[in-house]
Amino acid sequence: MEIKKEAMCGTLESNDLLVKVAPRAGLEIVISSEVLRQFGARIREVVEETLKHMDVSQGQVVIEDKGALDCAIRARVQGAVLRGCECEELDWRIL
Amino acid sequence: MKKPRRSMLFIPGSNAAMLSTAFVYRPDSILFDLEDAVALREKDSARLLVFHALQLPVYKEMEIVVRINPLDSPFGLKDLEAAVRGGAAIIRLPKTERASDMLDLEREVGRIERECGREPGSTRLMAAIESASGIVNALAIATASPRMDSIALAGFDYVVDMQTQRGDGIELFYARCAVLHAARAARIDAFDVVFSDVNDDEGFLKEVQLIKRLGFNGKSLINPRQIELLHTAFEPTEEEVLKAERIVEAAEKAEREGLGVVSLNGRMVDAPVVRNARRILQLAGSPPART
Amino acid sequence: MRWLRAWRHILAAKQSRPIEIGAVRFTGHPWRMFRNEAMDEELYIETLDPREDVQGAAKVKRLLYANGLKIEDDIECFVVARSLRQIVACAGLAGCLVKCVAIAPEHRGTSLALRLMNEIQQLALDRGQAHLFLYTKPDRVAFFEGCGFHKVVEVSGHACLMENTPVGIKDYCDSLRALRQPGQRIGSVVLNANPFTLGHLHLVRTALEQCDWLHVFVVSEDASTVCYADRLDLVRAGLDGMDRVTVHGGSEYLVSKATFPSYFIKDTCVVKACSTAIDLLLFRKHIAPALGITHRFVGNEPYCRLTRKYNQDMSEWLEKSGEEGNPIHVVEIPRFEVKGRAVSASDVRRLLAGGDFETVASLVPATTLARMRARYGLRAKPQAGRRLTEIFEVG
Repeated sequence: MEIKKEAMCGTLESNDLLVKVAPRAGLEIVISSEVLRQFGARIREVVEETLKHMDVSQGQVVIEDKGALDCAIRARVQGAVLRGCECEELDWRIL
Repeated sequence: MKKPRRSMLFIPGSNAAMLSTAFVYRPDSILFDLEDAVALREKDSARLLVFHALQLPVYKEMEIVVRINPLDSPFGLKDLEAAVRGGAAIIRLPKTERASDMLDLEREVGRIERECGREPGSTRLMAAIESASGIVNALAIATASPRMDSIALAGFDYVVDMQTQRGDGIELFYARCAVLHAARAARIDAFDVVFSDVNDDEGFLKEVQLIKRLGFNGKSLINPRQIELLHTAFEPTEEEVLKAERIVEAAEKAEREGLGVVSLNGRMVDAPVVRNARRILQLAGSPPART
Repeated sequence: MRWLRAWRHILAAKQSRPIEIGAVRFTGHPWRMFRNEAMDEELYIETLDPREDVQGAAKVKRLLYANGLKIEDDIECFVVARSLRQIVACAGLAGCLVKCVAIAPEHRGTSLALRLMNEIQQLALDRGQAHLFLYTKPDRVAFFEGCGFHKVVEVSGHACLMENTPVGIKDYCDSLRALRQPGQRIGSVVLNANPFTLGHLHLVRTALEQCDWLHVFVVSEDASTVCYADRLDLVRAGLDGMDRVTVHGGSEYLVSKATFPSYFIKDTCVVKACSTAIDLLLFRKHIAPALGITHRFVGNEPYCRLTRKYNQDMSEWLEKSGEEGNPIHVVEIPRFEVKGRAVSASDVRRLLAGGDFETVASLVPATTLARMRARYGLRAKPQAGRRLTEIFEVG
């Protein structure tokens, strides 16, 4: 999937996260979190896995985390990527 | 014996925090809402949140209902894909007007189950009736499909359709009865409306007493505070429990002795009465010996 | 359509213009219902166009006034939270700037602020503006940080510029750092170049004599007569072949509507106390260190009051100690004169509007003249319906 435009998904409420994607050469993941030390690695892992599943290899992905669970991270990253790719139809097999 | 389903807690599908933590309140069932609780702009992201939340181990153990958008909206079918593939136990279809609505839903659910390899028939259906047409067609709706799990009455839209407003409950009287009769005739469950004033405990309990007496299986809730109140109100009285214990005892005695008929105090006790007694004991928290 | 609740129609009719698509009516502005748990009140978050919704604008004005703020004219759109009767929170959008953010006291400390700020970012994104800035007092910085904004630069005790990404200024500086050049004296010049004249050329040449490398920035905000793409092209052409010079396209971080909004307010030459400080401190704290800049060269400004103030402030903010980033020497270079008059871009614009290309030729390099001719078709017939005076506004 190709990120064609800037998009965002999510909120900064507790237990949620805000994901912003933008077209960029190369893949860059920026993570900002109150619990970066404890969970930064795990957040990055989930984000990378989600992006890989969607075959996203280019773009800037900025994550502002407020203590979200893995399931919310996956959902918000997918949401932002889908909005950024302007995809109407979803291929459920990739999620 | 089915699990009790007194409380169905509504959770907005767009709220990550609530989706992550709703299980702590331990309602009998949880409803993830993709319809009215979610703004148009967030329909896509809420769908994804619900899809992933459904797969949390803690929710696999609970009964989860997903309220999708109507199938003729731009969102309904996509919601359904997410809900079925995610593993929801029950799909709640809003604004059900006629049996064919359930048949359309059944067809799509069957297709998705096949495509994603889910056990055929494992997704059950709940019809939400929100209009006069729906009430009038209640029986047909309730018997539309072998997947039918329950019917629910949705108060707000129903009273608007009836050109009145929510009050002391008389405005819902016929609708409640219709839903109950349809449910009982079809041997499925019936759920009552949301009580939206979260600060009016007295009003809430009055309504709960009413629907309990009418025979509803449970009620839709929008605030976790209502769960405790509801469960307490649904608890059988001591007298009811004692009576039920005696009936169940008699039934088990008859079975042990190989008798075809259960009798208590010289009177025959029908099977439905025994079933009801078991249900009461289950509500009271002491499961019967035989399930 | 059946899936729309009846009362949404009522709300739609009252508050925003509904759009009819086939049999479906829905509001042009997305909105949501939000239950404020603390107040147990139902709040609706929606957009409001202050120019169309006069009643709504009045309510917003009242809310702002109660919070010590004034409604600003350039706000294109507001996001508001409404209870049944009043507007209890608002946030305005003016291009890339978020302004006029106010929340009624009884709703503070709830997640309403988060919803509001999230909604305004979504709204801006729908309009193609992903990168947002805001100005706020230092004591409100923590609040906006909680809403997803990050500090860019602060005028100690007065104002803080924030942006809605943790890596905005960082990414920009990283890209600059890649263009660093070695040397003891690294100079910088910021040009609007509207258009590029002999005066600009003189400034660059003179500055170059005094440093090991010169970084030339072209203001990228498209608010000038000559569009940015053309201005940049004119500068590159004018400096073509010069050694030890790097021409940089501009950015949102240098003399932009974000860092120096008053520069772009056309009707008044409003010179607010802090308006130059943010731009200059940003340069000092972020841009200069990325490139190792030690000097900033400016031509003295005889005509425009605002530019003259900017130059004066430059010495104050770039040179004084106590601010973040090393001090930067400001060197003022006298204007290049032709026939006893300082060459100015506004003169050139006026002459072009009057069709006096002969005089223009004496004020601009050949590269500029050629491009002005080609661009505005002087040899060919003027564009139908357009006169040069319309193309070159004098202002």
